[in-house]
Amino acid sequence: MRPILLQGHERSLTQVKYNAEGDLLFSASKDDTVNAWYSYNGERLGTYSGHNGTVWTLDVDYQTKFLVTGSADNLMKLWDVQTGQCLYTWEFLTAVKRVAFSEDGELIVCVTEQRAIAQGAIRVFKINRENGQDQDPEPISMFHPIGSKATLAAFGWDNNSIITGHESGKIAIFDTKTGEEIQTHEKAHHDSVTDLQLSPDRSYFITSSKDKSAKLHDSRTLAVLKTYTTETPLNSASIAPIRPYVLLGGGQDAMNVTTTSARQGKFETRFWHKIFEEEVGRVRGHFGPINTIAVHPDGRSYSSGGEDGFVRVHFFDESYFRARPYGELEPDD
Amino acid sequence: MSSLRVGGSCSCCCRRAKTSWADDVDEPIIQKPKVEESVDENGLRTVVEYTVNEEGKRVKITRKIRRVLQTTVVDHAVAERKHWAKFGAEKGAKPGPDRATTTVSEPIELKLAAGGVKQAEPEPDEATAMKAKLGGKKVLCRICQGDHFTAKCPYKDTLEPLGLGAAGADTPMDGIATPQDEPAPSASASGPGGKYVPPSMRAGANRAGESMFKPGGNRDDMPTLRVTNLSEDAEEDDLRDLFSRFGRVARVFIGRDRETGVGKGYAFVSFEERDQAQRALERVNGMGYANLILSVAWSVPREQRPGGA
Repeated sequence: MRPILLQGHERSLTQVKYNAEGDLLFSASKDDTVNAWYSYNGERLGTYSGHNGTVWTLDVDYQTKFLVTGSADNLMKLWDVQTGQCLYTWEFLTAVKRVAFSEDGELIVCVTEQRAIAQGAIRVFKINRENGQDQDPEPISMFHPIGSKATLAAFGWDNNSIITGHESGKIAIFDTKTGEEIQTHEKAHHDSVTDLQLSPDRSYFITSSKDKSAKLHDSRTLAVLKTYTTETPLNSASIAPIRPYVLLGGGQDAMNVTTTSARQGKFETRFWHKIFEEEVGRVRGHFGPINTIAVHPDGRSYSSGGEDGFVRVHFFDESYFRARPYGELEPDD
Repeated sequence: MSSLRVGGSCSCCCRRAKTSWADDVDEPIIQKPKVEESVDENGLRTVVEYTVNEEGKRVKITRKIRRVLQTTVVDHAVAERKHWAKFGAEKGAKPGPDRATTTVSEPIELKLAAGGVKQAEPEPDEATAMKAKLGGKKVLCRICQGDHFTAKCPYKDTLEPLGLGAAGADTPMDGIATPQDEPAPSASASGPGGKYVPPSMRAGANRAGESMFKPGGNRDDMPTLRVTNLSEDAEEDDLRDLFSRFGRVARVFIGRDRETGVGKGYAFVSFEERDQAQRALERVNGMGYANLILSVAWSVPREQRPGGA
């Protein structure tokens, strides 16, 4: 495969995300821009400018109408995807670490950083889908997870539950309205959870962690279904549709790269068999840790964003779909 | 609902127009149609174009193009989004990817295989490597009879080696507790990370070396093919590319004019293996290469050539 290189950022990537159909790819980075790309040819559709600091996170709704971004300038912004105009801005006391739309696009969950001036908080906003500029500045619910601070959040199997990932390695499910902790798994990981992505039907999800492992969890019980243990801290994990693989990306922290023997192979996208929990392949290319991975909803391509500031869009060869590394044991999709 | 894309394959061949007297008759006919287009029954479009190149020579360019209509069914919303106006930093930019932000990188292979991806193991430390090399034999310290080398013994400065007084001749070196001691120092020290061993002490030092001037041992011994009817534009690398698919090519030599450096139309290609050369001979002989048909034969050494100088 010949990856397309997208050079729209001057600093390392923080998150890449496809829209529901997968024709658009959005990328956020530590510079203050957000880019929208046509995923099939890498053409840049436009940029969303207005943030004044690292854009930590973004999400797009199911209709590709609204884009929401969270940034280190303490702002969360709602954008019109088509025109690139900012529709609404929420301001908080601390940086926004994670945002996510609900499946129906009606709600946004937002995680803000814990600092001395403010507790880490998870807020849920109701979105006015008719008039994007007329939004409620107040959240419909807000709660403060006790103990380790939350860094990740996403709506669970329905709008009533929010799955969170924490710095201690804990994952939990909160009730959207009451903020009550429904389920908790204190020791899901031994180190901070770095990414949380749901399966297409939201029945299970994958988490990656600095403890060098990624795990599949059940969305209702948080039970660990599968564990993928690698030899490098992981920054991102994604579930591939069509084929039974998960994609893991990571590498040493940029600050640690020079302190140990720089071996190639740490900055590769690793393909693990979802069911047999074994590594089946690697894709090299980035020359820094991989910060974020997203798989196209049709499962035929994927994108990775790295500390090196590049987004690489890979289109799988025919051999990827034909490959049956486990022969007869392979499950039918 | 649907989008169209035209892909094509083009085979282009350029031919210099004849400059003989016969051309003068053709000239008025050639100049009339600048471009001829025809489509045959298979849908193969042939475009013939006559132009004058930079050397002032008339050139006939024939392009054969097959147009393939690729139809993709896409969602209404997706089709609509393809026509969205660009915004932000891309505002007013023309459609199509911009080379400043979008480039295609070199091809990358993804091979999926069971059994896990082999990982480079960390370099084993010296002691374990040495122990592994000794196989099942036990390492025995000459000083304290412990499970380590004498040089690493914690008592080596305070105690005398046990063997010195009692059984010096029986344990000539670090006591490997087997009766048949191999010449271990030379074998073990040649490993990576070991101490420097002079060449005279290394394994194989007592064998006779290979001479470059052995009678009959020169490069003519390598299976060599003579390639003739070669295009004068062919370079060493081209031939290397052509022949390396049959095996490792040891040497490529192209006969050139001494003054101009233009190829004389012949070359010698040496392989390392005779059967690879044989295969190359069978395959390449008679193959079309740069408009010429290559002729390949075994190269005959100078002495055996009839009348060779």
